[in-house]
Amino acid sequence: MSKEISKKIAETLIKAGTTFRADQMDAYEKAIVSETNERAKWVLETILENAKVAQDTASPLCDDTGIPHVLIEIGKDRCLSGAVMAAIQEGIAAGLRAMPGRPMALRGDAIQRLEQSGGIDGDAGAVLPAPFLIKSADENDVLRVHILLYGGGPAIRGQVKSVFHKHCMSVVIDEIVTLASEGVSKLGCTPCTLSIGIGRSQFEATALMMEAQVYGKYDIQNDLEKEITSRVNAAGHGPLGLGGDHSVLATFLRVGSQRASGVRIVSIRPDCCFEPRVASLEL
Amino acid sequence: MKVLSAPISKKDIDELEVGDLIEVHGYIYAGRDSVLPKLVRLGHDNRLGDLNISLEGGVVFHSAVSIAGVGPTSSNKLEIESNMVPLSKMGVRLHIGKGAIGDDTIRGLADHHAVFAIIPPVSALLTSLVVEKEIVAFPEEGMEALFRLKVHGFTAIVAAAKGKSIFQD
Repeated sequence: MSKEISKKIAETLIKAGTTFRADQMDAYEKAIVSETNERAKWVLETILENAKVAQDTASPLCDDTGIPHVLIEIGKDRCLSGAVMAAIQEGIAAGLRAMPGRPMALRGDAIQRLEQSGGIDGDAGAVLPAPFLIKSADENDVLRVHILLYGGGPAIRGQVKSVFHKHCMSVVIDEIVTLASEGVSKLGCTPCTLSIGIGRSQFEATALMMEAQVYGKYDIQNDLEKEITSRVNAAGHGPLGLGGDHSVLATFLRVGSQRASGVRIVSIRPDCCFEPRVASLEL
Repeated sequence: MKVLSAPISKKDIDELEVGDLIEVHGYIYAGRDSVLPKLVRLGHDNRLGDLNISLEGGVVFHSAVSIAGVGPTSSNKLEIESNMVPLSKMGVRLHIGKGAIGDDTIRGLADHHAVFAIIPPVSALLTSLVVEKEIVAFPEEGMEALFRLKVHGFTAIVAAAKGKSIFQD
């Protein structure tokens, strides 16, 4: 049983790292058609060609194969044992070795890891996943695992910020547009997808941001998401900062519970041109 | 499309304009945050020849090299961008990476007949264009060691040349 779970997890991780989602592929094709800047069009076409090559050859979309992040949904009729958790961990390591992932785990104690002075582990499977996020599922009989791969560029440009909303939604949206515009202008790998969570704490906002990456759809955008995308694109940074209409392909926004307070916590990640790299399976 | 073969002459570089598409062939160096400061120190210590490294007319690709392939990292990281001008003084003519670089760097490159080109981070495609690779220095850095690659047709766009940049358009 554990071996079967590990095998499925490894396959799911490889799918996340080598394959565009269908709606993501469609988003690129539509962007190519509507892009008016020739440099930008060339970049979009090259990224799409890369996605097709990666999928055909099962090779990584990007050599920064990312840090695995895991979101688990569990219904009330299912249980999640330590053995299943261990099988998921083993599957992630196996998937990283097989894809192959980039060997980028640092060796050594805390100081050596911070200074990058203890050397790099040559085993791609030594790149440990971030702590798992587990949440209740709406369905009773479900145990669903989502695997995401987080690259380094968006980690540099992502932010978590407290926003004093003045009881006005437009204040929050204005701040998001400001933060996103700054991140997008400096992110090397655009067009990006803006993943945003708004919660009551830094942890909750970032958990919601991760949910936005999992549940967000390129072909289903609400008015707020459309507004954010449109306003950030208006600056004209374009793919790779070369100018153009498509700095952002879409916005995935998740608004959670809020507290009676003057502050909202916003977590925003400008996902790179290959992200969100996410694939899911049910166990 | 302008075809460039490394080592690249000053004349070829001086003919490039912001926005030109270039296709790069030949032997280039790949290195990033960890190794570029060390490469500059080697140059200052006149030890490049000890490692059979020649930067005259050279190309530096801001990339790690691993079993996952190659692909540009952000060139505006502190330890990369701050070493672009020193490396240009040592003869590097073409820096390939991604992301916006600062005005001081853009001017410094121009002063030393060097340009910056942006390449899409398309690792599946780029990796298929690398026909040889070897570590030439700092193997302890693993994927961040200094590599020499032989590439066949990397396509990039000139983003900074002659003191101008695509980011100022």
